[in-house]
Amino acid sequence: MNNAVSLIKMDTLLKVLQVVPGTSVDGPGLRTSIYLAGCTHRCPGCHNALSWEFDQGTPMTVDELMAQIRAHDFNVTLTGGDPLQHRPLEAVKQLVKAIRAAGYTVWCYTGYTFEQLQTMPEMADLIPMFEALVDGPFVESLRDTSLIFRGSSNQRILRPDGTEADIYQ
Amino acid sequence: MIQTVLKRDGRIVGYNEEKIKAATRKAMLTTEMGEDEALIQRIVDRIGVSGAAQMSVEEIQDRVELELMKSPRKEVAKRYIAYRNQRSVARRAKTRDMFLEIIEAKNNDITRENANMNTDSPAGMMMKFASETTKPFVDDYLLSEEAREAVDNNYLHIHDKDYYPTKSLTCVQHPLDRILKYGFTAGHGESRPAKRIETASIIGCISLETAQNEMHGGQAIPAFDFYLAPFVRTSFIEEVQNLEKLIGRDLSAMYDAELDDFISRHLEGLDGDARLLQHAVNRTVSRVHQAMEAFIHNMNTIHSRGGNQVVFSSINYGTDTSAEGRCIIRELLQSTYEGVGNGATAIFPIQIWKKKRGVSYLPEDRNYDLYRLACKVTARRFFPNFVNLDATFNQHEKWCADDPKRYEYEVATMGCRTRVFENRYGEKTSIGRGNLSFSTINIVRLAIELMGIKEQEERIRRFFQKLDEVLDITARQLHDRFCFQKTALAKQFPLLMTRLWNGADGLRPDETIEPVINQGTLGIGFIGLAECLVALTGKHHGESEEAQALGLKIVSHMRSRANEFCETYNHNYSVLATPAEGLSGKFTRRDRKSFGILPGITDKEYYTNSNHVPVYYHCSPRHKAKIEAPYHELTRGGHIFYVEIDGDATHNPQAIADVVDLMDRHNIGYCSVNHNRNRCMQCGYEDAAENLDVCPKCGSKNIDKLQRITGYLVGTTDRWNSAKLAELNDRVVHK
Repeated sequence: MNNAVSLIKMDTLLKVLQVVPGTSVDGPGLRTSIYLAGCTHRCPGCHNALSWEFDQGTPMTVDELMAQIRAHDFNVTLTGGDPLQHRPLEAVKQLVKAIRAAGYTVWCYTGYTFEQLQTMPEMADLIPMFEALVDGPFVESLRDTSLIFRGSSNQRILRPDGTEADIYQ
Repeated sequence: MIQTVLKRDGRIVGYNEEKIKAATRKAMLTTEMGEDEALIQRIVDRIGVSGAAQMSVEEIQDRVELELMKSPRKEVAKRYIAYRNQRSVARRAKTRDMFLEIIEAKNNDITRENANMNTDSPAGMMMKFASETTKPFVDDYLLSEEAREAVDNNYLHIHDKDYYPTKSLTCVQHPLDRILKYGFTAGHGESRPAKRIETASIIGCISLETAQNEMHGGQAIPAFDFYLAPFVRTSFIEEVQNLEKLIGRDLSAMYDAELDDFISRHLEGLDGDARLLQHAVNRTVSRVHQAMEAFIHNMNTIHSRGGNQVVFSSINYGTDTSAEGRCIIRELLQSTYEGVGNGATAIFPIQIWKKKRGVSYLPEDRNYDLYRLACKVTARRFFPNFVNLDATFNQHEKWCADDPKRYEYEVATMGCRTRVFENRYGEKTSIGRGNLSFSTINIVRLAIELMGIKEQEERIRRFFQKLDEVLDITARQLHDRFCFQKTALAKQFPLLMTRLWNGADGLRPDETIEPVINQGTLGIGFIGLAECLVALTGKHHGESEEAQALGLKIVSHMRSRANEFCETYNHNYSVLATPAEGLSGKFTRRDRKSFGILPGITDKEYYTNSNHVPVYYHCSPRHKAKIEAPYHELTRGGHIFYVEIDGDATHNPQAIADVVDLMDRHNIGYCSVNHNRNRCMQCGYEDAAENLDVCPKCGSKNIDKLQRITGYLVGTTDRWNSAKLAELNDRVVHK
């Protein structure tokens, strides 16, 4: 790891709204869900509208978050807010890298569609690190509580290559 | 000359003439002429001198009546008699009130002591009358003075006290292979050895049902898959024989065809013998499926104990890797998944998956596919629970993968949590054995009584002293009950003491069960470790490392004392993490009366289940596992680890598997996952919403909200007692 990267890791703080250990609603198994602050999609009917503001939450370093993740010892889900809008994005990447290195999988919820993400060069090295992405905005008219791990039927659970993830049910 | 008086409760006290004087004076004061001390003294003198050395209270009162009648003051005699009658009615009034409550089918804590019992039915009421009236009999005639005092002072609860006079034992793990092989006699019928899967499954039901009427606890089958597997093969052979008849050709070579699995497949594209074979397999699978469905259905409908309860049944399975055993497991799970009747969740039997590395847990294991299916079934139907054969204390040195009878060395549980495995008087096994009786110590009260001591170290030192005193009393009480139980004759338990209990086949009907009863265990239980620790240290073990260290010290101490008792009394004593359905509010209510509402101790209507982290405490499942795990090794009489999960478990069976992983990782013995499951009884709609009152699909308000109470599933919460209801309302999900 070069100096520039480790500098970012040392100095950069993620703004964390909440860490929920052992939830069963944000992806397969029991997971540690990390709620990162800030989202511009502002979907009507959002179940977590209080998370839209970027300038809130507890500033935490990657190391601090990793200590919690290791203690809970579950796979991880990033949610929020939109974790892919969290800035600096480099900090999110460092976090995901660290989680993967510790042996956990990462699921990520985002308001972007998979196709939109494909056009965003800064996402190219982040997306492949996820086990799955739950993509697209929440659309109130498509809300369906029988959907697994999703709020509305336009949303999809995708592998980094864009294929649909198969889930143990 | 009267010297002693025999009181109504059987106690003998010194004669005291003042008592007679006071009663007579009272009667006189209600008359116009008032009291007459001279007459009173005359009567007392006469009775005192002419009476026998020992007289009962009633006899003395009869004499007073007589003397008054002979005196000029006959109107006093009248008053005295009236007063006696009043007192006598008043003494019976308690019984009367209790009877009235049962008769009116009122929902109160007497009639809701047991959530699975229908006390509104005639048989249920009859049993409740009997139960409520035998309890005082036990107090007066069967308990020692110290045990009765410990109960009166709320230190001790004696479980199944109403059954005490019957000498019944608690529970047994059925060696179903013996029943299936040799048949048995029950009631007025004899059964022959089973030949096919339908019969075998029904005989399993009858065995459980019959023994339930001979005992006061639950009934379990320890290796359901192993026991029924042979009948999958015999049914298969029967199907091949049917084909032989049909086509007129010898197919006997097919009888022991090596099959990797019994799985239904379409016959298309199959010719010749391959087609015949697959047809026989398909027929067999469908028969096994129906037999499993019938088994579940019977266990939810056959009533026992005079018709007010279904059998408290449990079945353990998961480790038979033969094609036949796997067929049993698969069809049982699938049938459970589908539900009974209109697709409702079966309340019984409690099902327990035997999780074992190398057999039924890891991805490379032969029964891994069925384990994954089991997780999926649990996500929808709450069962199976999971028992951990890999926990250090659940392993057996004699277990060997190619031993066809290896199940004899696999621990099995009663669904409620009771665990019987270690054995000082024979092979370490769960099979053909059970618990004899339980008594539970109120460790919270012991701790509350010491809260006045300022210095914590001294408080704790005194606590262990008091705990020792109550432990001694408990061990003696269990021993006393044992000595009473062992005088029972084998013929009092016609099935249990011929076929089921280890060693019973050597007993003659008129012989006592003394030679074999030591196979069973005596359980010393505890409840409310969390509240006990709050009283002693200010915090419970979920929130403080110091409290956790003390909690472990307390339960370790109980365990080592239990081991001492084994030596002293020569029994299998063990410590039980008490589930205590009827008990959960009883202790608390009385302690609250004595000590008022103490924050974190008596401020809820219940005490926390055994060693559990309080249900209202928010923490991650990992934390809960780490805190509760070490208690499992200490509580060999039984334990359970629960996780409450948020959301719809059917969406996430991996979450169930993750809880099993927690059990595996932290050396936990037995676990189960709680979650919400609603079902519209009108249209069958299901979801996991909290407090669903109206079906979102059809608008019906007839919603079945499934919940677990001390190990048993209860469809509606109407039959829960108030303390358990309060506990349910406080439950938080672990995340």
